[in-house]
Amino acid sequence: MIFKPIMLPEEFVRLGGLGEDLTARPFNYLTAFVRKLYGGGNMMRKVLFVFILIIFFGLVAEETGETITAEEIIKTMTETLNPEQSEAVMEMTITTSGDQERTFVYKAYSKNGGEKSLMKYLEPGRVKNQSILMLNNADDIWMYFPGTNRVRKLATHAKKQKVQGSDFSYEDLGSSNEFEDDYKSVLLGEEEKEGQLCYKLKLTGKENSNAGYSRLFVWVEKENYVPLVIDYYHEKDPELLEKELVLTEVKTIDGIPTPMKMVMYNKLDNTKTSMSFRELTYDVNLPDNLFTEMGMKK
Amino acid sequence: MRSAASFLNLVVSVIVLNLLVTPNANAEKVDIFGYFEPQFIFLYQNGNSYQMNSDKLRIDLQSSTSNVEFGADVIYNLYFGKKSWNILDFLPSEIVGEVPSEMRSYFRYTFNDTLYLDNAYVRISNSRIACIFGKQQISLGTGYFSNPVDVFNLKDAMDPTYEQTGHNSVRLDVMLLNRTSVMFLYSPIESDWNNSGKLFRLKVGLGHFDFVLTGYEFRDKSTDFYSVSVTNERRRLTGCEFVGEIFGLGVWGEGAYNLMEISDDFYEFLIGSDYTFESGLYVLLEYHRNEKGKTSYEDYNINDWLRFYMGESKTIAQDQMYALISYPITDLINLQLMSIFSVSDGSAAFVPVIDYNIFENVDINIMGNIYAGSEGKTYNSKLGNGVVIRARAYF
Repeated sequence: MIFKPIMLPEEFVRLGGLGEDLTARPFNYLTAFVRKLYGGGNMMRKVLFVFILIIFFGLVAEETGETITAEEIIKTMTETLNPEQSEAVMEMTITTSGDQERTFVYKAYSKNGGEKSLMKYLEPGRVKNQSILMLNNADDIWMYFPGTNRVRKLATHAKKQKVQGSDFSYEDLGSSNEFEDDYKSVLLGEEEKEGQLCYKLKLTGKENSNAGYSRLFVWVEKENYVPLVIDYYHEKDPELLEKELVLTEVKTIDGIPTPMKMVMYNKLDNTKTSMSFRELTYDVNLPDNLFTEMGMKK
Repeated sequence: MRSAASFLNLVVSVIVLNLLVTPNANAEKVDIFGYFEPQFIFLYQNGNSYQMNSDKLRIDLQSSTSNVEFGADVIYNLYFGKKSWNILDFLPSEIVGEVPSEMRSYFRYTFNDTLYLDNAYVRISNSRIACIFGKQQISLGTGYFSNPVDVFNLKDAMDPTYEQTGHNSVRLDVMLLNRTSVMFLYSPIESDWNNSGKLFRLKVGLGHFDFVLTGYEFRDKSTDFYSVSVTNERRRLTGCEFVGEIFGLGVWGEGAYNLMEISDDFYEFLIGSDYTFESGLYVLLEYHRNEKGKTSYEDYNINDWLRFYMGESKTIAQDQMYALISYPITDLINLQLMSIFSVSDGSAAFVPVIDYNIFENVDINIMGNIYAGSEGKTYNSKLGNGVVIRARAYF
């Protein structure tokens, strides 16, 4: 919270008839102006004073961030979730509707705030060494199959499909800008969620965008701008809750608050997928050529 | 052959022992993984039922430091049941009638137990250049069912994604720009430079598209089964590929023009498109033309059939269409229906498939083969209808 004193314009100073140059010291100016107003006993001047006070404190409040916009919250949240670069080992566990579990372990690299990302599977054996490269926020996706040394490019219709049968789509994992680019956001207020005071936002899919959902409700922790819960509503039916993402175990890694665990609940299929970091660092300098076909195979 | 196999066994053993036993402070540990794959084939053909089973064990070794990677895999295949087949049993009666009776045993094939080094390579790379020496996977082209620019591998249209064996070669990949790379490959399969394979590929990414130009010169083999003679001739292939999307549909294509030293030049191309619906339903269509193929099934002769079965030609008919429909009924079970339609002779084959990831590291795959063409056509019912049950346990 940074308090910025408002510098009043010269015309306004002259309006008060003050003899001294106080423009560089506004609070002295205010005190002098109050003195002059009340000293004169003029009703009009008193009304004017109250009016000025309202404007003054309104402006101050805005400058201090009390009326932060939904767009600013989403932008800060996106930046928090997508640091410039990262390298991680992640574990993804899928729980099917029949309570069967499948666990995948993969290395994940990202650059340019998540615009480029690369996943390389380490476990289990049936997907070992497979990799997925996503560029331009998952607008371009390539998959590498080591058994045949073949790279296949996926069209954008695959973006919304499940990754390895999980409840995360390619878009969920590879798109860092979807909240800002594909949705209009509105701040609904503040609400406690998961024991934390949060901003509650409603995001509605923009027309002609690639928004995969009709609307989202996002609870963003006020203190560090980490989303704690995101509710995803079906693309065709805005009343139908399709998925819920719950992010927990927020830790500060290399100075950046990070939810170490996230669970996506699929409300329609009655399945869930949890993802957690085994290792994570943001303090890396990844070469651009890691995010190429050659990088996928290495 | 026996001495070659023994030598191979010896090489594999030395490599494995060297990697496992020799202490080396600079080397990373060797990662050992692979799978065991039992397979059961039931076939109903010409009123008879057959079964042929196999057990396949694949062991992969991998070790890497920051710039050097070693990879190899050994495959051991065991066969049971009906192991000996005669290719003539699957050909139209009219064609078989052309074969002299004393030559019929020549077309017998027996599946013998095998142990072989499938791949063994060293990859040396830095941030922009990668050089791979040894027996390695080479997969070219953007097509799913077939690849006109890929003369290294022959895909089984009934099972196009199944792994292929490696090819002995030296390969150099150089990344020029972010999505622009060139590849040079030398495949020393013959006795001298002139007769060995030399390949150049330029790959460029533009927008949501990737484009590839390919040039490949190699020695092509063609057998005349009437005179039982083999022709070797130089073949120069010029190919191009693209993959991208138009109006939300995935689109790709590849074409090759082949300049032949002795026989007629020919072209081959494939175009394809796919789409995934919101429900998860995936649909793929491909059209493939091979100028070398025949336009009427009445013109098919024994050379056409046997070159196809021996892998010397990709198709018998000139025009084919492929379709694949896939739908995940649960997160662990996927249903597929592949169909191949020979436009030139009006025959078709259908391959329904169930893929089930039954346990964390175990996949089960059940595949049917149904041929729906009359005798003499590419996909005729004389080929036999059957079921393949395959399990694969990874370790």
